[in-house]
Amino acid sequence: MIDTRHKINFDASKCVGCKLCYKACFVDVIRWDEEKKKPVFKYVEDCEHCFYCASVCKKGCIEVVPDYSSEKLLQTFDRYL
Amino acid sequence: MDMTYGREDHKTDVLVVGGGIGGLAAAVSIKELAPELDVMIVEKQTAGYSGKANKGGGVLQYFDLTRIKPEDFVAYHAANIGCFLGDQDLMKTYVSMNNHMLDKLVEWGARLPKRADGGYDVVPTGPMTAMIGVDLDITLKIRQTAEKMGVKVLDKVTVSDLLTANGRIAGAVGYSILDGKFYTFNAKAVVLATGSQNYRIGPMWSSGRGDGIAAAYRAGAEMRNAEFGNFAQLVKVRSHHEVVFGENYMYNKNDVHITKNFRTHPEPDISSTAVAEWYKQISADLGPIILKEEKAPGGGIYGIWDRPYGQTFWRLNEESGAAIDVDAEVCPMLIGEQSPLKVGHDMMTTIPGLYAVGDVSYCGSAAPGAVPAPPARNRGSGILNAVFAGIMCSQSAVDTAKGIGMPDVDEAQIEACAERVYAPLKRKSGASSKDVIRLVQKAIGPVEQSVYMSAHRIDTALKYVEKAKELAKELAADDFHELLSCHEAEAMVLCAEMQFRAARLRRESRGWFLREDYPEMDNENWLKWIIVKKHGDEMVFVTEDVPYEKWPIRPL
Repeated sequence: MIDTRHKINFDASKCVGCKLCYKACFVDVIRWDEEKKKPVFKYVEDCEHCFYCASVCKKGCIEVVPDYSSEKLLQTFDRYL
Repeated sequence: MDMTYGREDHKTDVLVVGGGIGGLAAAVSIKELAPELDVMIVEKQTAGYSGKANKGGGVLQYFDLTRIKPEDFVAYHAANIGCFLGDQDLMKTYVSMNNHMLDKLVEWGARLPKRADGGYDVVPTGPMTAMIGVDLDITLKIRQTAEKMGVKVLDKVTVSDLLTANGRIAGAVGYSILDGKFYTFNAKAVVLATGSQNYRIGPMWSSGRGDGIAAAYRAGAEMRNAEFGNFAQLVKVRSHHEVVFGENYMYNKNDVHITKNFRTHPEPDISSTAVAEWYKQISADLGPIILKEEKAPGGGIYGIWDRPYGQTFWRLNEESGAAIDVDAEVCPMLIGEQSPLKVGHDMMTTIPGLYAVGDVSYCGSAAPGAVPAPPARNRGSGILNAVFAGIMCSQSAVDTAKGIGMPDVDEAQIEACAERVYAPLKRKSGASSKDVIRLVQKAIGPVEQSVYMSAHRIDTALKYVEKAKELAKELAADDFHELLSCHEAEAMVLCAEMQFRAARLRRESRGWFLREDYPEMDNENWLKWIIVKKHGDEMVFVTEDVPYEKWPIRPL
């Protein structure tokens, strides 16, 4: 999917810099700031709401808030665009 | 050559492209046979986290081989699923190796829930089939095993093209998606494990974007069954979460159980006729289509086994859907799953030394027959097919790597690849990858163009593909993330073209392949595989007769 408007909330104060969210993201939404040892949510418009980053975060720093209306069904009928 | 982003050269006996379950299984199997060989995995994201095996339902197909014979399942499959287009020898080998593969997965570190008596915790799914669970850290565990065995892993580097020399594989080139550095890999054998083409429509496990297919096509590899890249699933219209087996409970606005229009007896999974029925009902203003499903107690398949790693992932997904799905209205979503790299039983492609395993070659292997794969109307076969292919390629890849010296690489070929790769970065303006992808999705997304097909509707789709092809000549990118997206968009255009043009040729309906204008299976003219290959700048289509005479199950 493209052009999604999912949101990712991140609580940096709880983050211990384990890098798992960065590794878990398979669509390159999350980059890693080597100096700060924190994730950078750089390409959020490519998020596919898989929740993997939130799943692997042991400190509960990440909340993915999907906006499903931004995902396309791509059918011909108006109701299912 | 332009060294703006730097360059790093590698040599390895075996290069594995892709760090999902197929690539990992191949790497470990090769190391088991020949620990002395250098094996390197290159993965565009992070090996062990990428691919599909860690994002699905975590199920493995199981055959009780003390009770059924492999040939019994092959007989059922050939007639009912593969519809005489499948390679029955390969399917028989897959079934025969089932228990061995499960034991291998455990040996490699995967967690398969067991019963108190030590046997696998098996759930029957049909007269001959069953499934067992696997926790979603399966790929992470196998990555750890691979690294312990000495396999080198290079993450965040995408392979963009394959190198050939003297008619055989010589390696690959690619670039870092983080800093753009150019990489060359000189290898005696290359195993492509880059997944299928899903056209970036569905979320989650349908993550394949076809870049490996495109690289192999450009290098001259043949494709087979490219027209079977049109898997679709019913999804909830609000959350877009898939409803596996939902096709059994479809009701229209008049509360008519429309499943009865296309299904007279129990079937193992969704069929293209279910997708067509949805389209016919909506066209006749009989929608919306609602599922009236009897809920399985205990959270469906996720609650059956103890799989601690996957539980949070599944729970977050389920909760987010439940928060928005006020009813069970569904519509189909194109998933794709084009997997057309043509391979033999040792998973070697038509380019000597180039192997293809897992979802990049499932249909191209011909094992599943007339059905997109995975799951090929054969639940639990996705992960296990990748493991199967990884094991099946290993002996031949070892023999290749031991049997030849390091092939020469041609600097002119490398330079041409580099020029092609970085071209979108050099354009000051042009089309964005998403402009191109939108056009491809207009072709492939609507199910009446891709699943319930007709010549007219395929031609409509091809017009969008042609527009996308034109636009793709002027792709522009402003960073390496976008550069990767450009290359994926190019791959989508290529895959869509071969899919629709092959579909245009196949004038019949068979298995999943469904044409309104040719509704019958035509065994007289179409017991054939369509082969696609590059000839100069042309995409060429030829047919090969399916050698059904040599197999036990034949059409009447």
